Amino acid sequence: MTDATAPLRRPRWMTIYWVAVGPMFAIAAYLGLVASPRDVNQGDLIRIMYAHVSVAWIGFVAVGLTALFGALYLWRGKRGDDVRSAASAEMGLLFSALTIVGGMTYSKPTLNTFWTWDAKLTLTAIMVALMVGYFVVRGLIDDPVRRGRVSAVVAIVAAASLPFNYLAAEWFRTLHPAKSVALDGSGVTMDGTMLGVLLFTTVVAGLIYLGFMLERVRLGRIEAELEEARTRGAVRTVAPEGVVRV
Amino acid sequence: MKRKWGYAVAGVAVLVIAGAMIYQALATSLVYFVLPNEYAAEPERYDARRLRLGGIVADQSVAFDESDLRLTFLVTDGIVSFPVSHFGAPPDLFEENVGVVIEGHFEGEVFMSDNVLVRHSEVYEAEEGVIDVEALRESLK
Repeated sequence: MTDATAPLRRPRWMTIYWVAVGPMFAIAAYLGLVASPRDVNQGDLIRIMYAHVSVAWIGFVAVGLTALFGALYLWRGKRGDDVRSAASAEMGLLFSALTIVGGMTYSKPTLNTFWTWDAKLTLTAIMVALMVGYFVVRGLIDDPVRRGRVSAVVAIVAAASLPFNYLAAEWFRTLHPAKSVALDGSGVTMDGTMLGVLLFTTVVAGLIYLGFMLERVRLGRIEAELEEARTRGAVRTVAPEGVVRV
Repeated sequence: MKRKWGYAVAGVAVLVIAGAMIYQALATSLVYFVLPNEYAAEPERYDARRLRLGGIVADQSVAFDESDLRLTFLVTDGIVSFPVSHFGAPPDLFEENVGVVIEGHFEGEVFMSDNVLVRHSEVYEAEEGVIDVEALRESLK
């Protein structure tokens, strides 16, 4: 006996994954809110930094991967790449919006303003706008191939701003503080314990991103299959009673 | 396959050129704040206009009059300093030798500020001393 709905069912390990990530999130919250030492200048406000910076980093990764999968779709035209790109884009939009919310929360008590139009903040706002544009474009185009191609280009443009955003405080005069952790290992201007906490919160943020990616890609595959079946006419969409089709 | 490579190379080239142009535009025209020595070099360019001045709060220059909420200090870039007059309480992280960006305009040699933004460094240091776990527990009760 074969069950036709079996491939559509959500695998058990996805639930186990979230059950494992939950306690890690709790540990990250504990490390940031309780275990981390106070900062010599900022005091307890340093605790906001763990949420803000980890979310911002993963947001960058999410937008970067949106563009990468988009570029792969342009390259080889596999529907799966478009599904992955769109899934990552949702997380990219969410994480970059959270970056702005967390940044404003952090910025008011430390820098004395919620917002200012310096290079770093402006580039982040543009990135959020482009990611919103990504979904506007997807909503407007019905043909799946064209939709995938156009939105991939939007994603690549959004990702092109990432290096400027990442190095904005080094390259331009900004209010936003410069980086404390250089990726080339040339220097870390952060207390060791604080760095440890930040890396842990970043790992947890990354696991949350990965979890939602897996969920969304699974749903995206089903959506794509349904869409293809509909265009083939294999699935008849029956309008509910009372709905007049025009 | 050949055509694909052509598109890919052209796409990357366009992105690199666009990136270089964005960088040029941002670096030359997007000056978020002006340094005191830049203002001193050509004050007529900013002639009583609203601007942001960026620098360090000079050592032992801060005075705050609590009765009329007048904050005064010297902002310096190590070359030139200007006196600043600000109406309002100093921000929490405001102190001597800290970076600031102040918004306002010049009246003569005095910068009349209506907004003081703190530009703290990227150095994060733990406070001296171990955490008092008992006190923490008390505070959480």
